[in-house]
Amino acid sequence: MTIAIYLESNNNQITKSSLEIITAAQLIAKENNSDIFAIIIDDDISNIITEVGLYGVPIIKCSKNITSYQSSLYAKIISNAVKDSDIIIFPSSVHGNELAPMIAMSQNATSIPDVIDIIDQNTFKRSVYGNKIHQLVKSSGKIVLTIRSGIFDLPNKNEIKPEIIEIQSEIISENNFPNLAEVLNSISNRPELNEADIIVSGGRGTGSPENFATLIEPLADKLGAAIGASRAVVDAGWRPHDEQVGQTGKFVSPKLYIAVGISGAIQHLAGMSSAEIIVAINTDKDAPIFKIADYGLVGDLNEIIPKLLNSL
Amino acid sequence: MNIIVILSIVPDTETKIQLNNKNVEMDQSTEWIINPYDEYAIEAAIQFKEKHGGEITSISFANGKEEKPIRKAMAMGVDKSIIIETSSPLSSISTEYMNAISTQLKSSNADIIFTGKLVTDTNNNFIGPSVAQILNLPIITEISSIHFSDNILTVTRNNAGQVEKYTSSLPILLTTDKSLNTPRYPKLPDIMKAKKKTITRVSYDINENSPQITIIKSEFPQEKDSGEIFEGTSEELVTILIDVLTNKEKIL
Repeated sequence: MTIAIYLESNNNQITKSSLEIITAAQLIAKENNSDIFAIIIDDDISNIITEVGLYGVPIIKCSKNITSYQSSLYAKIISNAVKDSDIIIFPSSVHGNELAPMIAMSQNATSIPDVIDIIDQNTFKRSVYGNKIHQLVKSSGKIVLTIRSGIFDLPNKNEIKPEIIEIQSEIISENNFPNLAEVLNSISNRPELNEADIIVSGGRGTGSPENFATLIEPLADKLGAAIGASRAVVDAGWRPHDEQVGQTGKFVSPKLYIAVGISGAIQHLAGMSSAEIIVAINTDKDAPIFKIADYGLVGDLNEIIPKLLNSL
Repeated sequence: MNIIVILSIVPDTETKIQLNNKNVEMDQSTEWIINPYDEYAIEAAIQFKEKHGGEITSISFANGKEEKPIRKAMAMGVDKSIIIETSSPLSSISTEYMNAISTQLKSSNADIIFTGKLVTDTNNNFIGPSVAQILNLPIITEISSIHFSDNILTVTRNNAGQVEKYTSSLPILLTTDKSLNTPRYPKLPDIMKAKKKTITRVSYDINENSPQITIIKSEFPQEKDSGEIFEGTSEELVTILIDVLTNKEKIL
């Protein structure tokens, strides 16, 4: 069996969610003695090759000198590379979620989005109905998967010198297809919600957008954390949509999730209950968030957060 | 402009899910709604029509409960609807779901197609790109802004903290994210007008040879063991928190 993994890079570094799919692929490969190869498309891949070799990926198929992302071009390059693969894995990122279904359709493969566990080479666990239900799904034949970030650990280090196979990138992209005109500056220096080990998340209990900014933001920055928000504060316009955690926002699985002034509506819990450690800070002892918190602090966030900031 | 929206019909996201023999079961009280992310697609289609003219057609599947949400979409501003009927219900995660939509789109001469970035019940964000691939259409997912002038479409999307700006020509398929717009509430006269709009039902023969996913088990996620709740002064609470995160969890 052959497993192909698409590794996404940013500033010539493999993204965390891509490193996690190396772990996922190695898990399947161990059971079946499968071969693994990575696919990388970037303009400068020398750093990336070294990094991938560090984790014991034996073969890298790469397409160099492509300066900007274009879905149809990328899909063609990947399709050519995975013709003989049985399982093709993508990170559940914006580009991964765009490319995976295109590859699935081009390969007449089954597509299984947002996998949260691997049972065997054709049985996978997914969460559906806003994380309220977990399903085991099975398919035969060729399979294309995306894997939710934060589910698998980083791969173990096992340095090897991978074999490099250059794949054709002479495919001319269609003129009428989307061109990435520009990438505008990073909105913030904080980690992305789906990539972060720690998330500090604020709700209505923070009181105001100003309080959110003066309490949640510095705490996140001190911890190197991403900022999350409840639906209530996003709907109220206190925080941007892409910070929303929950059923109509993002599903996150960080190592540590600190919920500040969040009561814990079911739609919020759906998005973060798979975090490894949940800390909740709330004045209301009966808030539903305390039912799933590993550590619940009953108290006033306006007093606790400043003291916490001083002690960190 | 020929504007199409692909709408999935899903149980209300507040629905309490029940399991019967490891199958997800919806009872009579379940309210069926337009997939929340598809509402942004409807709003985007309406705004596009307001600026550039044309007609909006929706494509959905019959599940016996589709009429009410489809009428709501029509009250918002969809002009006419196509409902695909199949001999057995198609899961929105199946390849045949994408094939059936694509078959309808093939004969539609669409200039621009909108659908939500994710279908909430099957947690499926593959529909847009799958359909685009089948029809060899350009695709941009999760858009957060859209502008069209001089035959050039400009859209942006957020990707890992960066904003990507794309240009393209039509036709194109776009999937919509929450930050794109605020879906309008239908007004009473529009709700009345929607009752007279045309719904066309078409049938689709399921190809049993398409790749299939079998659900072998549905279960509630394991409940977390209840944790420790601390009360006390804020100094005490901060000391406890730093202690457990540093010494017990070793995360700080």
